[in-house]
Amino acid sequence: MAALIHRAEYAQYDFGPEHPFTPARLDMLLDLLRELGVPLDLQAAPAATREDLLTVHDPAYVDVVEALSWGEPKPGADAFGLDTPDNPVFPGMDLAARWLVGGALQGARLLMGGAETRVLQLGGGLHHAQRSRAAGFCLYNDLAVAIRALVDHGWHVAYLDLDLHHGDGVQSIFYENDRVLTISLHESGHYLFPGTGHIHELGSGYARGLSVNVPLEPFTGPADYLEAFEAVVPQALANFAPQVLVVQAGADAHFDDPMGDLVLTTQAFETLHRRIIELADQYAKGRLLVTLGGGYEARVVARVWAILVLTLLDRPLPEALPEAWVARWLPLLGPHPPRFLQDPVPPHPPIPGEDLRHRHNQDNLARLLDSLSRFWL
Amino acid sequence: MLVREMMRSPVTTLSPEATLKEACALFQARDFRHLPVMEADRLVGVLTDRDLRWVTSSLCPGRLGLEDPVRGAMSHPPITIAPLDPVEDAARIMREHKIGCLPVMDGARLVGILTGMDILDTLIRLTGISLPSSRLEVALADRPGELARLTAFLAARNVNIHSILTYPDPDQAVRTVLRIGSSQARTLADELTRDGFRVLWPQPKPWPH
Repeated sequence: MAALIHRAEYAQYDFGPEHPFTPARLDMLLDLLRELGVPLDLQAAPAATREDLLTVHDPAYVDVVEALSWGEPKPGADAFGLDTPDNPVFPGMDLAARWLVGGALQGARLLMGGAETRVLQLGGGLHHAQRSRAAGFCLYNDLAVAIRALVDHGWHVAYLDLDLHHGDGVQSIFYENDRVLTISLHESGHYLFPGTGHIHELGSGYARGLSVNVPLEPFTGPADYLEAFEAVVPQALANFAPQVLVVQAGADAHFDDPMGDLVLTTQAFETLHRRIIELADQYAKGRLLVTLGGGYEARVVARVWAILVLTLLDRPLPEALPEAWVARWLPLLGPHPPRFLQDPVPPHPPIPGEDLRHRHNQDNLARLLDSLSRFWL
Repeated sequence: MLVREMMRSPVTTLSPEATLKEACALFQARDFRHLPVMEADRLVGVLTDRDLRWVTSSLCPGRLGLEDPVRGAMSHPPITIAPLDPVEDAARIMREHKIGCLPVMDGARLVGILTGMDILDTLIRLTGISLPSSRLEVALADRPGELARLTAFLAARNVNIHSILTYPDPDQAVRTVLRIGSSQARTLADELTRDGFRVLWPQPKPWPH
């Protein structure tokens, strides 16, 4: 079983109708879970305070977010990544983001207090937010604030990022911290935002070897992805021996997602979700804190995250999607809506270049493991 | 980018009368591979780790000993560059002579040193990722105004350009690689294609949506 954290105010994190990071993604998920008859005992968490934010963010940056949030004009906001196409300004954005940070922080507190061992925050996963910069739809780094609290509790924290994009904000905030291991699997920064996450980014100082990046070629599918995951993640966790595993479970590495070009399937996500539970049990004392993340295709995100929720709740996965749900969300699902929770087999036409892609991924993985072997016992 | 923005200074130098043993100790202690050789205030040569290895090798016909002076081992006359010369000149000279460093001379005065590593640092600075950004690659027609049309397109959408690199394409186009401050490169690529640009990356999805 898992504790679920959510509150209606999460919907305030809304950059407007033209923006991909829409709260409808979460509404679709909750509606699907209800329609599937999943009992949802959602815990509402208090908003994070300014002091909570300052454990990972610069006061000058938080000042600017607050001012813009009240409607006070701030020339030069773009130097903080604000008032940009990715992070447009909207009234109340400071509080909207603090609700999400509060949820992740509440999840950390439940774990630290021993009340729960498995927590899922239904929202958040704002992994691009940096110490003093908004980026990639992320205003405050909810994951980093939660990780900081867990570290301050005296724990070693392992962070695993399954989003399509490199988890650059979390990595950079803990780049020199030897109590935090960050692992990110993502489409290669040579092609995709934010451009980082290369194998040579290994952490610095005492934390050298504690930033682990698995960049994958465009159009990498489940076989290569899962092979890389198994080659890196269990050994990294075994070596680091964390007291808790924090996971950003973005859904945008799915083949239908418009943002990038990894081609995972719902079946691959199910495998990953089951593995993170096993890995937390095996290497992190069973403690697991999961947030959502990226994921921008209405036909996909609710399905992938429903698999996540059902897996964490130890419930069986249904085959068909409820007709009432499909009918209700038809405007977003399009003229040929999905009818099943899982993807069809085969999921999509074959993509040329498989051999080259596989070889490149293998080479990269070998180089990464070679570098890491210097730090692993 | 100018040499003076990339060079290192102050410069450690050697006297031509220093022994090879002293030079070797300095190379080892400070991790040097090249040192300018100064006689009074005049640059007379450059001693490289390759020079040092060769003249002390058993394969060298006029092999020198550890107590011999640097004068007999150094490369000379030195090939130099000026602080206001551009980086591309420095790269071309180093490539042409197949050498690893250039003493930087302001008139007769040694003001810095530039090595192959500094050129690589510059390449990393020019092509590297300094801020979260997406890659956008467009083949522009080789005629006036095309780059302006592209940058105006991005400016109209409030998209910041972090870096821009162009080079000639085999099929007569100007390949233009931009790092842009937005994660929504595919949306922009679709719009660019509609506006008649030839977008090389990101590509449309390989199956119909």
